[in-house]
Amino acid sequence: MSKFVDFMENKLSAPMARLSEQRHLLAIRDGVISALPFIIVGSFFLIFAFPPLPQDWAITQWATEHAAEILIPYRMTMFIMSLYIAFGIGYNLAKSYKVDPLSGAQIAVAALLLTLTPTALDELGFVLPMQYLGGHGLFVTIIVSILAVEIFRVCKQKKITIKLPESVPSSVSRSFEALIPVAIVIILMSTITVLMGVNLHHLVDKLVAPLVTAGDSLVGVLVPVFLITFFWSFGIHGVSVVGSIARPLWEVYLVNNSEAVADGASTIPHIAPETFFQWFIWIGGSGATLGLVIAMLLFARSKYMKNLGRATIVPSLFNINEPVIFGAPIVLNPLLIIPFIITPIVTATLAYFATSVGLVTPTYIMPPWTLPAPIGAYLSTGGDWRAVVLVLINITISVIIYMPFLKLYDKKMIAMEQGEE
Amino acid sequence: MKVLFVCSGGMSSAIVVKALKAEAKKHGQEMEVHAIGTSEVEQEMEKDWDVCMVAPQIKHRFDQVKVHADEAGIPCGAIPPQAYTPLGGPLLFKTLNELIK
Repeated sequence: MSKFVDFMENKLSAPMARLSEQRHLLAIRDGVISALPFIIVGSFFLIFAFPPLPQDWAITQWATEHAAEILIPYRMTMFIMSLYIAFGIGYNLAKSYKVDPLSGAQIAVAALLLTLTPTALDELGFVLPMQYLGGHGLFVTIIVSILAVEIFRVCKQKKITIKLPESVPSSVSRSFEALIPVAIVIILMSTITVLMGVNLHHLVDKLVAPLVTAGDSLVGVLVPVFLITFFWSFGIHGVSVVGSIARPLWEVYLVNNSEAVADGASTIPHIAPETFFQWFIWIGGSGATLGLVIAMLLFARSKYMKNLGRATIVPSLFNINEPVIFGAPIVLNPLLIIPFIITPIVTATLAYFATSVGLVTPTYIMPPWTLPAPIGAYLSTGGDWRAVVLVLINITISVIIYMPFLKLYDKKMIAMEQGEE
Repeated sequence: MKVLFVCSGGMSSAIVVKALKAEAKKHGQEMEVHAIGTSEVEQEMEKDWDVCMVAPQIKHRFDQVKVHADEAGIPCGAIPPQAYTPLGGPLLFKTLNELIK
C-alpha cells in the first residue's frame, strides 16, 4: 500500500502539480484571477436588472424598463473581461521574465485591440465590436497576450532595444526600450487583421469549438471533479492545479451565460461555469466536505473527531476545508479518501442532470466563493429557489456517503484514545 | 516575532494563524502572524519578517517561495500537514522554533 501511495505521489500527482506551475500557465492563471473582482461585481448588476421578485412588483417593472442602463456597469466589466485579462496576463508574464511588467501589460492590450476592426458610425464616430472582448475573445486574448510579451522579452534579452545614455531618467529610458518590440507587435498584428483581413476570433472560435463542447459535457465536468479530489488526497491544492488549466474555459461559460441573460435569450447555453462547481459540488470546499463535518458532529464519538467537527464547522460553512483535509486527515488516509472522491462525483452527476433538464437555472452570476453554498447558489442562478433545494439535497447525499466511512474511522480513533489512557 | 504564512489564497492559513498565536501566548510570547496567498510572496519578502512558513497544500510551490525567501534572507520552512488545523497549534509552534534556531 505505501509503495502504491509513494508511486502515485512522486510519479503522478507531484509532476502534474509541477506542470501547472509552468510559466505561461501561471501567467494565464494569475491574469484571469486578477480580473475576478470585476467579474464578481459586474455580474451582480444582472441581478439588479432582473431581480428575483414577482413580476407585478413596481421595482421589478422599473428594473425591466431600465435594464439596458442598469447593465452598463456589467457591460464595462464582466462583458469585456478579456480586456482586463489581457492586461493581467501581460503583466504577470512580463514579471516572471523580470522585464518591465507595465510595458508587458500594455503590449498585451495593444495586441488584443489590434485583433479588432473598429467601424465608423455617422453619429458615434469609431466603435469597437465589444463582444470580442468578452467570453468569445478569451482564447484569442491568451494567445496574443503571450505572443506579444514573448516578442517583448526576446527583444529585451537579445538587446534589440534603443539604449539611451545613463543620464536619462529611468522612466524615460524604459519607454524607449519598449519602442522596437511595440513596433514589431503592432506591425505583426496589423498585418494579420488589416492587411490579410483575418478575423482571429472567428478562426480561434472554430478551433476551440470541440473543447468548449467537451468541457460542458458530463465527462467534462467529472474529469476536473475527480482530478481535484485526487490531488487533494495527496495534500495538494487541487483547485489551484486543475483550475490553472480549466479556469479560462469556465470563465468563457460564465460570460456566455451572462450575455445570454443580459440579451434576454430564452435559454442559457452552458451548464458548467466555475460557479456550477463552486455552489453545487464544492459545498464546504472540494470533496463536499461539509457533509463530512456534519457527519462528525452527528455521529462521532471519539474526542478528537468531536473536537475537530466543532472546530471546523464554521470555516466549512464558508467553503474553507483545509482544516478538515489536514485535520481529519483525509490526506493519505484511504478510509476517508474513498468518500472524498465518490461524493463529489455523485453530487456533480445529479447537479448536471438537474441543470441540463431544466430543473435548475444554469449559473451566470459569480458571488464570492466564501459565501455559504445555499446563498451562493441562489445568487448565482439569479435567484432560483430550486438551486437552494439542489444544494440541500447534495448536502444530505454527502452526509449519507461520508457517514459509514466516518463511523469506521471514528472507531479506530476511539480505540487509539482508549489505548492512550 | 513576525511570522508570514503562505497558502494558496491566504484564506485557509488565516485559521491556523489563530492556533499559532494562542499557542505562543501559552509560552508567554507575543506573535504577529500574517497570512498571504502565493501571488503576494514577492512583495511581502521586502518587509522584515522573521520567518516564513509554507502551507502543505502548496508544497509543489515550496521551492519557488523558498527562492524568494532565500534572496531576502528570511528562514523558510514547510508547515507539517498534521499541524495545519485549528488543533495543530503545539506542533506548529514546535516546528517554528526549530526553524529559527
